Amino acid sequence: MATPVPVLRLPKGPDPNSRGFDPKSPRFIALCRTSISSSAASESDAEELQKEQHARSVLRERFLRCLLAATNKKVRFHMHENVNVEATFRTSDIDVLNFQVSDLHTPIGVQKEALIRCQDVISFTFDM
Amino acid sequence: MQCNWLLSGPLHWFRFVDKQVRVKAGKDEEHLGWLLTVDPVSASVVLLNFREDAALVHVVVGHSVKNVEVLQEPDPEMTERLRSFFLPLTTPILDPEELRHRRARVRQWLKKNWLPVDEDRDELRVAGVLTITAPYRPEDCCSSNQIILDRIQKLIQVHPETDLDSTEPKVPGISLELDHD
Repeated sequence: MATPVPVLRLPKGPDPNSRGFDPKSPRFIALCRTSISSSAASESDAEELQKEQHARSVLRERFLRCLLAATNKKVRFHMHENVNVEATFRTSDIDVLNFQVSDLHTPIGVQKEALIRCQDVISFTFDM
Repeated sequence: MQCNWLLSGPLHWFRFVDKQVRVKAGKDEEHLGWLLTVDPVSASVVLLNFREDAALVHVVVGHSVKNVEVLQEPDPEMTERLRSFFLPLTTPILDPEELRHRRARVRQWLKKNWLPVDEDRDELRVAGVLTITAPYRPEDCCSSNQIILDRIQKLIQVHPETDLDSTEPKVPGISLELDHD
C-alpha cells in the first residue's frame, strides 16, 4: 500500500459542508462548546478560581507541546470497531475535534490528506 | 463513569499529573503509563512509556476515558524527566561578548537587506513589528505578522553561521564583509 491510490469519495450529504465539519451543524454546536465554564466551587471563591485557572493553563500548555511533538511523526490511530490506521500527524484544531493528517493508510488505499474526527478516535500513539 | 472524567475539572485532573496510572478506555481497554497531562479542553490523557532507547507517547481521547487510577507516585528523578520531556532544548549559554557579536552580525545582515533595525538592550527590533531575542537564530524571531516572520526567518537562515568555527558564508557568491578579524 505504498503508492497512493485514488480513494472513491462517497456522495455528499445535503449540507454544503457535510460530514459534520460545518460549524453551523447541530453536531458541531453540540460538541464544540464556545466557552468552558469554571467549576461551581470556583464561581464563589476567587482563590479557588485562580488555582483552577493555573491548573488549566499548565495542563493545556503541556498538551499543546505534546501535539507539537507529534507533528510530522508517524502516528497510529486506534478507532472504534477495532480499526487501526497509520498516518503522519500534522495538526489539530483548537477544540481537539479534528486532526489533520497526511498519508493515511486505509484498507482501500492511501489518502494523501485527511481529516479525522476525534469522536471516532479512541486513542493514538507515536514514538519519540 | 465516563461523564465524570469529562466533567471533573482541571483541579481534579491536575492530581494525576506525573503519576503512573492505569486508564480504562473504550470498550475493555487498559493503558498504563506515566501521565504527562490532561487536556482541559478535551479531557484527553497523555501517557508516556519509556522503552530501551525511545519513548512511547499514548494519547487517550477524553470522550473514551472511563476511569483513571493511580498506580505509583514518581520519584524526584522521574518527575524531572516528565516535566522536561516536551520542553524545547535549552539554548547553549553563550557569553555576553559572543552574544553581542552575534547580535551585531545579524543586525548588519538585516540592514544590508534594507530592513530598519533597532537595538533594545539584548533584543533586535525589526520594522517595529518583529523582535529577535538572543541568540538571534531564526527560531528566536517573534512577531504577530505571519508574513514578515516568515521572511525574516528565511533571511536569517541564509545568514552565514555565527559559529566560531565557520566563517564561510552559507550562500556562495554573497560575501558578507561583516567583520575583519
